[in-house]
Amino acid sequence: MSSRVSGLRLFLAPFVLLGGSALGAAASGPVPGNVILVKGAWSGTAGLPSPLPEDGAVSNGKYDNAYFGLEYAFGADWTQRYEGPPPSESGYYVLAQIEQQRPAQAFGQSHMLIAAQDLFFSLIPAHNAIELIRYYQDHLGPEYRVQRAPRTVRLANRDFVRFDYISPAAGLQWHVLATEIRCHVVLFTFTGSDAGTARRLIDSINAMPRPPGSTPLCVKDYVSSETVTERENPVLTEARFNPVPVRIVIDSEGKVKHIHFLSAFPDQVRSIADAVSKWRFKPLVIDGQPTEVETGLTFGRPPRPSAAGLH
Amino acid sequence: MKKLLALASVLLFSAALAFPDIALSQTDPGVRPGPINGQPDATQGSPLPLASVASDSPAGILDFYDNGLGRFQEEEVVSGGANNGLGPRFNFNSCSGCHAQPAVGGSSPANNPQFQTITQGIASGSTNTLPPFVTPHGPALVARFPFFTNSSGAPNRNAPNGGVEAFFTVSGRADAGSCNLHQPDFHHALQTNNIIFRIPTPTFGAGLVEYIDDSTLIANQQAQAANNFGIGGAFNRNGNDGTIARFGWKAQNKSLLLFAGEAYNVEMGITNELFAQERPLPEEEQDDGLPANCLNLAGRGYPEDATNFKVAASSDQSAQNAQVPADIVLFAEFMRLLAPPVPSTRTPGGPQSISNGFAVFKAIGCGTCHTPAIRSTQASNITPSLGNAIVRAFSDFEIHHMGSGLADNVSQGGAGGDQFRSAPLWGLGQRIFFLHDGRATNLVAAITAHRSNGSEATQVEENFASLSKGQQQDVLNFLRSL
Repeated sequence: MSSRVSGLRLFLAPFVLLGGSALGAAASGPVPGNVILVKGAWSGTAGLPSPLPEDGAVSNGKYDNAYFGLEYAFGADWTQRYEGPPPSESGYYVLAQIEQQRPAQAFGQSHMLIAAQDLFFSLIPAHNAIELIRYYQDHLGPEYRVQRAPRTVRLANRDFVRFDYISPAAGLQWHVLATEIRCHVVLFTFTGSDAGTARRLIDSINAMPRPPGSTPLCVKDYVSSETVTERENPVLTEARFNPVPVRIVIDSEGKVKHIHFLSAFPDQVRSIADAVSKWRFKPLVIDGQPTEVETGLTFGRPPRPSAAGLH
Repeated sequence: MKKLLALASVLLFSAALAFPDIALSQTDPGVRPGPINGQPDATQGSPLPLASVASDSPAGILDFYDNGLGRFQEEEVVSGGANNGLGPRFNFNSCSGCHAQPAVGGSSPANNPQFQTITQGIASGSTNTLPPFVTPHGPALVARFPFFTNSSGAPNRNAPNGGVEAFFTVSGRADAGSCNLHQPDFHHALQTNNIIFRIPTPTFGAGLVEYIDDSTLIANQQAQAANNFGIGGAFNRNGNDGTIARFGWKAQNKSLLLFAGEAYNVEMGITNELFAQERPLPEEEQDDGLPANCLNLAGRGYPEDATNFKVAASSDQSAQNAQVPADIVLFAEFMRLLAPPVPSTRTPGGPQSISNGFAVFKAIGCGTCHTPAIRSTQASNITPSLGNAIVRAFSDFEIHHMGSGLADNVSQGGAGGDQFRSAPLWGLGQRIFFLHDGRATNLVAAITAHRSNGSEATQVEENFASLSKGQQQDVLNFLRSL
């Protein structure tokens, strides 16, 4: 299932909304098995389509993701059989699920999860990769044993946090490598029973090229009364009380250039996109240069942090 | 012949030694025998209440439980009987007909009561036919059409429906007057792939679930967010007050009272103090509604189920008190006061296998969504057993994307067409049908169905698949011990 359908375009001048569900699919004949009404990811853009975190793809033994600037070659003997779910309302993405190619699932089969946690919307009180992974360590159950506590390593000319643990009962080991990109923590998690396979995959991460090009400056909580000069509030008609996390890119003139809904129903997308596309900001000036900014904001009901999580 | 059998036995034994994985191929042990719900004193018709209810604390509560149990098993008629109000559309004529396995309050029984609806005269055979998916050995079902149809009869994917399409009408019954309704066109819905099914959810321990504070669930969600299994999760919040809803396959119902009131109206066609109007089919609702000659068939006005303001005097004051509430209140009370199932420590497979299976279940990520225990319920103003209790339901009560393989295209509240509540696993050992539509009767098939495009559970299922057969068997034994 893809959470985005390229055929759907709802025109809301000056924005073009790109689809997030199958609602706009042809409406005749039996319902195909792959038509699903999802609460999923949507995007809108005032110009050329921008890459999205969930837009990566696995092909020919490689995972490419233009948003994160990833080109990860793991080898032709690995493949993706199932796509991941839509992004969660707390900004968690399953980017790719890769497994060793075998005729059928089998004992000892290794697999790899490439995921990302948007630090703007995370339920976990973490500001960076090391805090996130330490939170993971703190919340490991007694059924696991830590093999390598979280610490920073240098791979592919960037900092990663590495964390290894095992489950004696399941006979499985986990090797986690986490790095920060565009205010996300991107996580590579290898699971399996074969340490050699994990080592080869980690080595292949080290061979990743550096990402090309520049990206907007990501700033948490950039939207405020001090930065917004024009604002129209969206009218949400259905009382669903779900949080609607949205990432926006503000261009160097202070206009909203791009909107990405991580998790929203179609009616919520329409009303929020209609309003937010009209917002105007004071341009962010750094070293005398107006700068593009990427930030996040939540509509609907923001998630309530629990007291237990704020230690 | 005996020699041949002996030779075959020797060969099989040798193969078992040489290829232990093949010999120990994992199998679902099946419905766990032994005491119902793991409670030696329980019977199919008399499940056990919570301990403090059994000891009648506070005084009189046991009468409410017993009265609720009785009403849960009552068979409704349209008019002129002791229990009136059935229809004009319905799926069955009692709660306990479908909530029956392994005891009253549970899930679908092996013998589907809906299959007998016409032969037993609950629906007239002159005006009703048995839908083709209602089969003698179940499961008991509810059907929904995900989409309305356009003028040519094709599903209109721009017009989500998702409402229940009741199987039967009261038309042709002697107690239903001149009401003349047609059943939904299930054959057409099947031909256009515009139909999905749900099975009854079991309600044992439901009162404990009802009284988990939202903060407790949110804290659990935050702790489980630290997983390396690709699992997100969200809550389905009640549209009225924004708090966490937790009952039903999509966690669409906030409370047991709402759950009971909706089911009484939708499944049995009985109006009540929460749902005071007769319910047309979704397509009838868009048209002219129900015809006048199908309204007020019980002849008492609405709601058909209401508070009993006048009850017979009794020397037993608490028994008299328990007669006062409406049916839906006592249905909710019965479910609220039901004891949770008690897991077995040794069946099937023995204590070591069950213990190993539990450890592996947690290690491979099953316990991320099927959270083994949530601590604890709120202080209770109802009965001591409901308060400050650990809820060993094996659920986080969140909704999760379950992928194209399980998606039913029905959106309810904040749950999209592919999202489902983590089904509580307590009592799993004595259930017959698994997954929201009962498609699986085998645990291995149910586990396998967790992986598909778009599912949050794919990584966990792949972890399960990568286990040895012995480890998988331990997990299955553990699940059947619940």
